[in-house]
Amino acid sequence: DTDEEVKVLKPKVALCKEDDDFMSAFDQMMNDSIQARTQESVKVPQLDIALPTQVKNKPKKLALPGQGMSDKDEEKDKAGITGLKFVLMTRKGNKQQLTDFEIPMTAEFATKFKEREEAEKLE
Amino acid sequence: EEEPEENQFCMKDLPKHACAYCGIHDPACVVYCNASKKWFCNGRGNTSGSHIINHLVRAKAKEVTLHKDGPLGETVLECYNCGCRNVFLLGFIPAKAESVVVLLCRHPCANLSNLKDMNWDPSQWQPLINDRSFLSWLVKVPSEQDQLRARQITAQQINKLEELWKDNPDAKLEDLERTGLDEEPTQVQLRYDDAYQYQNIFGPLVKLEADYDKRLKESQTQDNIVVRWDTGLNKKRIAYFCLSKANDEMKLMHGDELRLRYIGELQKPWSGVGHVIKIPDNHNDEIAIELKSNAGVPENCTHNFVLDFVWKSTSFDRMQSALKTFAVDDSSVWGYIYHKLLGHEVEDISLKCTLPKRFSAPGLPELNHSQVFAVKTVLQRPLSLIQGPPGTGKTVTSATVVYHMVKQNNGPVLVCAPSNIAVDQLTEKIDKTGLKVVRLCAKSREAIDSPVSFLALHNQIRNMDTLPELNKLQQLKDETGELSSGDEKRYRSLKKQCEKELLQAADVICCTCVGAGDPRLAKLQFSSVLIDESTQATEPECMIPVILGCRQLLRLDLQLILVGDHCQLGPVVMCKKAARAGLSQSLFERLVVLGIRPIRLQVQYRMHPALSSFPSNIFYEGSLQNGVTAPERSRPSLDFPWPQTDKPMFFYSTFGTEEISSSGTSYLNRTEAANIEKLATRLLRAGVKPEQIGIITPYEGQRAYQVQHMQYNGALNKKLYMEIEVASVDAFQGREKDFILLSCVRSNEHQGIGFLNDPRRLNVALTRAKYGVIIVGNPKMLSRQPLWCHLLTYYREQKCLVEGPLSSLKECFVNISKPRKLVN
Ligand SMILES: [Zn+2]
Ligand SMILES: [Zn+2]
Ligand SMILES: [Zn+2]
Repeated sequence: DTDEEVKVLKPKVALCKEDDDFMSAFDQMMNDSIQARTQESVKVPQLDIALPTQVKNKPKKLALPGQGMSDKDEEKDKAGITGLKFVLMTRKGNKQQLTDFEIPMTAEFATKFKEREEAEKLE
Repeated sequence: EEEPEENQFCMKDLPKHACAYCGIHDPACVVYCNASKKWFCNGRGNTSGSHIINHLVRAKAKEVTLHKDGPLGETVLECYNCGCRNVFLLGFIPAKAESVVVLLCRHPCANLSNLKDMNWDPSQWQPLINDRSFLSWLVKVPSEQDQLRARQITAQQINKLEELWKDNPDAKLEDLERTGLDEEPTQVQLRYDDAYQYQNIFGPLVKLEADYDKRLKESQTQDNIVVRWDTGLNKKRIAYFCLSKANDEMKLMHGDELRLRYIGELQKPWSGVGHVIKIPDNHNDEIAIELKSNAGVPENCTHNFVLDFVWKSTSFDRMQSALKTFAVDDSSVWGYIYHKLLGHEVEDISLKCTLPKRFSAPGLPELNHSQVFAVKTVLQRPLSLIQGPPGTGKTVTSATVVYHMVKQNNGPVLVCAPSNIAVDQLTEKIDKTGLKVVRLCAKSREAIDSPVSFLALHNQIRNMDTLPELNKLQQLKDETGELSSGDEKRYRSLKKQCEKELLQAADVICCTCVGAGDPRLAKLQFSSVLIDESTQATEPECMIPVILGCRQLLRLDLQLILVGDHCQLGPVVMCKKAARAGLSQSLFERLVVLGIRPIRLQVQYRMHPALSSFPSNIFYEGSLQNGVTAPERSRPSLDFPWPQTDKPMFFYSTFGTEEISSSGTSYLNRTEAANIEKLATRLLRAGVKPEQIGIITPYEGQRAYQVQHMQYNGALNKKLYMEIEVASVDAFQGREKDFILLSCVRSNEHQGIGFLNDPRRLNVALTRAKYGVIIVGNPKMLSRQPLWCHLLTYYREQKCLVEGPLSSLKECFVNISKPRKLVN
């Protein structure tokens, strides 16, 4: 992709009233959603989430750099760290469904996972 | 038997899953809003939330669906435990020891106490929306490059669009800017946020011009046409006739389509369409059209015909299609050129190329230093402007650039210009270098002869000997006029195959800017594009070859070269509204204003040094050098009363008044016409050939009167005057004559000087002549205009402002205003 060679000196976020309004509307919507849930005391099923039996292996560092990663990923990639492979467990009717996905190392969650893994190794 | 028309385009549309704000459509980057049934991307552009979050918040929507081709496929985002689908509540929790995560709502599921006892870690719960965008592993964030390349939408526009959707869910961003019928269209800009904005501004202007053109052409129906029939060499019927209305209203051009209808009673009604193959000229007022079909032509009838203009939208459709492709198809133009065209700041790129040892091309004249500099510079840059003032060898320079580009890139070069004449001139020069050149003509112009007819695609096919079957069918078609339907089908498929072969083998393909939208070129990949006379094309017209030729390739040495002169006349825009909004500004001009410095050719080879001095000082900052000497441009034996023997120029003061012409729409000035005739007669008597004289007059009324006046009052043989070309400044652009007589016409006390106000028009008028210029006009009146005041002052200083009979010209001492400083 030749576009990578093109260095565009880009304009930055345009601060404006409409954007400020959006930010407060966002906070409002977040709060309203949570409020609604806490006040109406929703009836939910008894929590019972079993781990899928197929997934018993530890997360691995990806051997191949993923396609279309952001620049930051590529920097990390050069440093020898990439994303972590994970499985998302969802439910379709009563059946468990597993979808592979990748968490970039830049995600806070991935870093924490990594730290914990290292801590376990030390123990 | 009519060939299928060449008007089908591949209009590119964005896919359904494109972000309704910015158009980004990478499946991994977009999310579907279940409530409003639209897709949005997870990029924030220049707002503080991603587009999908901006939308959800404004539309108060909470549920989304991922794209099936995204990182998580068609996964439904819902709480594993309770099924809640509000994305503002959803988050995920990882297993304590495994690489598994589940989605859970923030409350109550993620807070349930028995969660701790199991394999999950509730302290690790994290929302799917973080920093006002979806987590990137859920929905990818489009790269910065992609976001900059996409439609740039502001928070204000987002607000307005969301408001619009409440009334009309199908509304598009373009609708925000749609102007009412009576409103003025949006002005063109210097810089554009993105290609959508560009399209949104130029699209309506092209439409205005198209509508104007359509109304004008379709109002041209004329009756009581008397026809004379003939048959062409290709066996096609030709109708000759004259129009009662002058051609300046009709503005007929070669290749235009006219419909001739028979409404008399000698035979049943008939109507047939044909292309104009001859337009009225000084010799003959007849128009000729070649009919597309010979079937049922009422050859025995001569009277009771009606003529309609068949308006064709082809050129406008191609401009619109180019604008749309530019906006929607992100591979349509190489990124560097894309951003440059829109006026964005881009880091400069210089191309790696091995410069040729010799800059002159075989078969073409040796280049001078400024031409060599131009060729050398152009070869190393992806985007260049070459400015060619009058007589500076623009065409030779362009042809040389094309030669080297072919040699360097080994890819075909696309060469365009707005007019067929300009394309032909350049094609002729490029052919001399020995490159394989194909000239692509519109099908409607195939019958029209030109100096490069032998290079035209349709003629090259005729001369190919690789396919005897095609030659046989062609011969049959030429002899009989038509083919059986089976033969015709075979003929067309063979022809198509040959066309493809020839185009693919070509080093250079030459066509008009509009011709670049021809479907026969659609699949070709070019390494470079050169647009000559680009200052005479409107921006959307220029964009047709840019879009075709600058497609994103894997290579970097793609080049775009615009050649022209923004100090001479610009594109002709007929709709005043569109012109006022800026459609009459060329792309070249805008790029100059944006700070791209044109490479100027500096040595002129046309004018006597005395003639080039004023234009050089006023229009080119004094930078024009003379490549010809005064002796080379003098005719000492010419018996002509130049007031200064070393300066073949003068301003001939004439104080006659102007009148409105008989048509009521133009001006004429009888005294000036008489003086011009006297000057022309004097030149003819001195031995100047009539075709070496040009008479420039800005008004059609005066043009017609001048022609008539010379015919009936000229002292010499009528035929001689007929050979003298009398035309507007615009018609002389790009051309030269030995002697130019300029008639200013306007001469009144109160009004302005109209046409002559445009400095670019004056520049063109003054720079056509090689050996001599004579201006006829009212100095008192003209000197009120600052530029003309400078011109008159200059002529006075040179002792060339004169009056009196030609046999005893003497200096004219009429008062003229003091020149003021010119501000550009
Ligand atoms: Zn978007
Ligand atoms: Zn839940
Ligand atoms: Zn840009």
